[in-house]
Amino acid sequence: MSGAIDYALWIPVLPIVAFPIILFLGNVFKGTDAWRGRWKEGGTIATVVMGTSLGLSIWLIIGYIGQVTGHESVGQVGNWLSFHMVENGNLVSYSFGFGMYLDHVSVMLLFVASFLCFLIAIFSLGYMNSDPVNLDRNHRFYAEFLLFCAGMLGMVLADNFLWLFIFWEIMGLCSYLLIGFYYERPSASYAAKKAFLTTRVGDVFLLIGLLILWNLFGSLDFSVVWAEDNIAAVDAGTLKIALFMMFVGAVGKSAQFPLHVWLPDAMEGPTPVSALIHAATMVNAGLYLVARMYPFFASPAMSGEFTDLAILIAWIGGITAFMAALIAFVQKDIKKVLAYSTMSQLAYIFTGLGAALWFANTGHEEIALLAFGASMFHLFNHAMAKGMLFMASGSVIHEMHHAHHEVAHHDGEHEGHGDNDHFDAQDMSNMGGLASKMPITATAMAVGSASIIGIPLIGGFWSKEGIVGAAWKACLTPGGAWMLGPALLVLITAGMTGFYMSRMWFMTFAGKPKTPVANGVVEQTPFIPIPLVTLTVMTLGGIVFAGFEFVHWVADGHAEMHFSHVLSGIGAEMSHAFLPSGEENGGLIYLVTMLTIVISTIVGPGTAMALYGGRLQKGEKAKPWLAWLVSLSARVRKNNHFDNSTWANSGLAESLHQRLHFDAWYDSAMLKIVVPFANACAWFDQHIIDGAIKGIEYGSQEGSSVIRRLTTGSGRDYIMMAALGTLAIFLLIWGVA
Amino acid sequence: MADNTNMTMRDREFALVAGLLAISAVLMYVFPSIAVENSAGQIDWITLPLVAFPIIAGAVLMAFASMQPYRLKDRIGQPIKLISVVFALMMLGISSGLLFGWLESIDWDISRYNRYELEFEYSWMQTIGVSWHVGLDGLSFSMVWLTTVLIPIVMITTWEEKMGWYHHPLILMMGGALIGVFVALDFFMFYVFWELTLIPMFFLILKWGGEDRRYAAQKFFIYTFTGSVVMLLGIVTLYFLQPSSQALIDQGVLTGRTFDMTQMAIGAQESANADIAWLGINMQKALFLMFLLGFLVKLPAVPFHTWLPDAHVQAPTAGSMLLAGVMLKMGGYGLFRVCTTLFPEALLEYQWLLLTIGMVSLVYGSFVCLGQTNLKRLVAFSSVSHMGIILLGIATMEPLGFAGAIFMMFAHGIISPLLFAVAGAFKHHYHTLEIGSMRGMAKHSPWLATFMMFGWMASLGLPLLAGFVAEITVLIAFWKAFGWWVILPGVTLIVTAAYYLWSMQKTIFEGGDDGEMPESLGGAPAPDISLWEVSGMMLLAMLTVLFGVLPWIFFDMMTGYAYGLFDGILLNVIGGGA
Repeated sequence: MSGAIDYALWIPVLPIVAFPIILFLGNVFKGTDAWRGRWKEGGTIATVVMGTSLGLSIWLIIGYIGQVTGHESVGQVGNWLSFHMVENGNLVSYSFGFGMYLDHVSVMLLFVASFLCFLIAIFSLGYMNSDPVNLDRNHRFYAEFLLFCAGMLGMVLADNFLWLFIFWEIMGLCSYLLIGFYYERPSASYAAKKAFLTTRVGDVFLLIGLLILWNLFGSLDFSVVWAEDNIAAVDAGTLKIALFMMFVGAVGKSAQFPLHVWLPDAMEGPTPVSALIHAATMVNAGLYLVARMYPFFASPAMSGEFTDLAILIAWIGGITAFMAALIAFVQKDIKKVLAYSTMSQLAYIFTGLGAALWFANTGHEEIALLAFGASMFHLFNHAMAKGMLFMASGSVIHEMHHAHHEVAHHDGEHEGHGDNDHFDAQDMSNMGGLASKMPITATAMAVGSASIIGIPLIGGFWSKEGIVGAAWKACLTPGGAWMLGPALLVLITAGMTGFYMSRMWFMTFAGKPKTPVANGVVEQTPFIPIPLVTLTVMTLGGIVFAGFEFVHWVADGHAEMHFSHVLSGIGAEMSHAFLPSGEENGGLIYLVTMLTIVISTIVGPGTAMALYGGRLQKGEKAKPWLAWLVSLSARVRKNNHFDNSTWANSGLAESLHQRLHFDAWYDSAMLKIVVPFANACAWFDQHIIDGAIKGIEYGSQEGSSVIRRLTTGSGRDYIMMAALGTLAIFLLIWGVA
Repeated sequence: MADNTNMTMRDREFALVAGLLAISAVLMYVFPSIAVENSAGQIDWITLPLVAFPIIAGAVLMAFASMQPYRLKDRIGQPIKLISVVFALMMLGISSGLLFGWLESIDWDISRYNRYELEFEYSWMQTIGVSWHVGLDGLSFSMVWLTTVLIPIVMITTWEEKMGWYHHPLILMMGGALIGVFVALDFFMFYVFWELTLIPMFFLILKWGGEDRRYAAQKFFIYTFTGSVVMLLGIVTLYFLQPSSQALIDQGVLTGRTFDMTQMAIGAQESANADIAWLGINMQKALFLMFLLGFLVKLPAVPFHTWLPDAHVQAPTAGSMLLAGVMLKMGGYGLFRVCTTLFPEALLEYQWLLLTIGMVSLVYGSFVCLGQTNLKRLVAFSSVSHMGIILLGIATMEPLGFAGAIFMMFAHGIISPLLFAVAGAFKHHYHTLEIGSMRGMAKHSPWLATFMMFGWMASLGLPLLAGFVAEITVLIAFWKAFGWWVILPGVTLIVTAAYYLWSMQKTIFEGGDDGEMPESLGGAPAPDISLWEVSGMMLLAMLTVLFGVLPWIFFDMMTGYAYGLFDGILLNVIGGGA
């Protein structure tokens, strides 16, 4: 541990130092063959840097897991800002510092972040550099990518809320820059602004929450604010308000209702950006923040004070999960489906955290730890799976683009980016039958979807069961009646997830190609398969993590991971998942678990198969593990196909196409309230305030020109004035006398 | 014939440059040994090198230039610019030397009330009690360093514009006058330099400004002068309110009173210790208001701010950069030097007034920004908005709020010249300032677009850049002092982001593959900024990052100053009341 710790600061510092270097080199060497070729316009540097960060992270993690229990604070730099405040007539001195904090949660997120940053960097080497529209501007991409990675890694390692906030904002900046990467498109520029402003609203709430927190504790250091004695000494009501404000910040960053509107538009950015920022890392920042509120809820001194906040968190999660899944039903764009899926799955984690926080605050420590662990594990699984899904969708889009160029070329059309606007390579109604043409991508997408849906034994299953179980346990516990809503919502959403994820897969990969472009797709871009295969293995290996008692380890600061007991661990998890437990309400929970499995694995995908399944084109052969899936879908469709046109044309569907109108409301609020107010202020300033000044100017000039008329230049007038003046003086003197 | 003229002129240039540089080198070498030493063994680095030298040098250069035949105007301009920049860099060297301890070992973080480093007093007009009294402390040194860093950067950024031979010397003179304001510890001197700064700026706007420059220059001068005259009334009133001292009369001071700020501060401190309001609470309040008016006009605070947009839009780039960077800070500086130090009871009474004006400036200023379509007017109103934070910081009556407000003066002093450099370059290269007139600038002017984005992000308070430190410190103190009113600054944070992002969307981004160029360009190819402009902006950007990542370099001395202020006088006033 000692060796790794010394270098730990380099984990975020390396990328932040490489950021201006890539910008500078890119500007100087832009257009040269070597820069484009071997250096991949900075991609090589980015991959090497992220690889180094990953290596350092793993070294740190191995050392930590092997040798440390609890947490470790390292590398304190004491006086970044030191100042004084007046307290009771005295001056008290305070300061902010910077250090790193390692515990189970931060170690887990460190791994997730550095691993995915590295894999997505590799992905970008293939995706970005082989697209001619990105030529000579990839250095900007890689530089901003590295700055973002530095922000995420810094946030995960920071040991106080101030630096968490600082890195949080840095990530927001990079999100803005990267969403607007294709800035020449008005839609991209608009989406970037929307993302920044929406998260800014959340950030202001977070900032105010931190101000309140500082004023309660006199510090924002984790070691100070989580100390039991300090928590016991502060006012519960004020602390609750602070936590609520911080939660709103998390809502903004993790795209939950009602600050969710930016995430679908964020798909304007290149696919690696969607994979990294909007699936695997930045949106997890909000969850990380809420996870860091756990000690406050678990504190015995605050027992029972924060239950309504916990229930609110669970409700926001439940509502968002359901709403996002519903909107995903009608999406045609493959990336938008994944965006809404992200929103929905993050909402799951919020529900799980809400349940965990509720249990913690009502004194049920053991269940709280389980629920918390399940939520964190779901974060882990989701990040891996969703990152992979976005990369896979990127692979599809990329090859569709290629194929479109081929087709257009053959027809003699001029090749240019503008032509692609007519053909949407992201529209799933242009795809179909790609299972045989893109085996690696199809597999990755199948495994990732299975993880998200929660197919038993694959990655996300283990964590999703934990969350659904926790929510139901909460609503069955005395005092937890309000949790029924979220519990029901996540249950129903499980089935909906099964449907829309399967719909996405079958529309893209099963059936016959719907356009000639889809027919001409070939999986040929280098670098892309590497992260896809790696993450497929990771996702399938979720069962192994479960066997390590990962859930328990991540939640309990003093637990240890038992690597040697993997098999028995797996056995324990399996029995926990599939057999009813003897605890209170065990039977009902078991029923719920089974119901969840049935609707998410059978009802949801089955309905999708009935609508969108189909045999591949004649002569096409998919890999065996895909072929059975395709032929199953064909059989289901043949026997159960029903007409969904009444649903598809209904008013509800129309609303869903309009994203349930939230975006339109927010836009019109801006246009109808804020902008006219601003224009009124500008008018007021120019005409009233400055008008007063201009009035004085004008008045004084007019006054002056009136008085000037006294100087007539005529001697007679002056003599008369002198005479009148003398007379007046005599009268005054006589009057006084 | 023509060759002959060229030969003569080149000799003249050479003589000028060589001569002046030689004299300067000799002066620099000789200076430490002939300079005056004070009781602490420090050399007077302030009076000659930082205040007198730039003013005299600037005047000499302008006199020299005016004596040349007009046809040499462009040729003589180059060496004059070069000399001005060298002198400005020398001044920067001195102030940085003072900062890092190369010239004198000074601990800037020591916190004491009414104690100054490099304090020198020379008697001047003994008969009325005016002395040349200078000194630096945690408040003023950051402003002095800021000025010395901005003067060369302004000169570099505007190197290429055809400004003739008076432009750079005028900037040099302006620098000297500004430093004079910050180092003055005598009210008479303070006022002289305060007004002296108006003159070079007036000429800068008048000679090199936009179309409406005459109106803008006049408005700027008369408006701020009016505020200053009210302040003068305050100074004279304050002078005559001092009790007449027999000891001073014996020394030759006819009135028995002094203009010296440090003496008055001692008096104020003694009164506060005795729980009496110095000069009586009503007089103190009246004086406070008189001075406040002068400072509010300078800051500028709503509703005395309308001179600023006109001045900025019409001013040339250098003028705008200096105006926003340092001149506005004179107002904040004056609030600290005079109002908090000498009139603490009145400050406590008028805390609500500062809060109100500051809040209105902050919030109203940001909404007015949102309604602007002229780029420079937008940046000007954002200055109004940010200066509101200074008033809020003072209103909190917490040492953190004070230190944060001073740091805001400093941070804004680095960021806003960058904003105005960008706006100026925009006008210079695209011949328009209308925000909606173009799209896709990033394609054609990537450097300008990059600096614009950097400056805009710094100004909206992005962490790891200097502005964030200022905002977070003031906000922490603000919550402690005023609680949920912090929602209004919170709303402003959102609105600020909105107007900056909107203006970027409508200039840097969009525009399709080729961008849309404004009509004012007349079909010419879209330019990017020159190497000089890039250098100036890059220096400002690097300073912004430096003070965002390592704020303690100046924040510690500001904390020390605030501590000394509270420890010396304000704690008594808050606790005891008068």
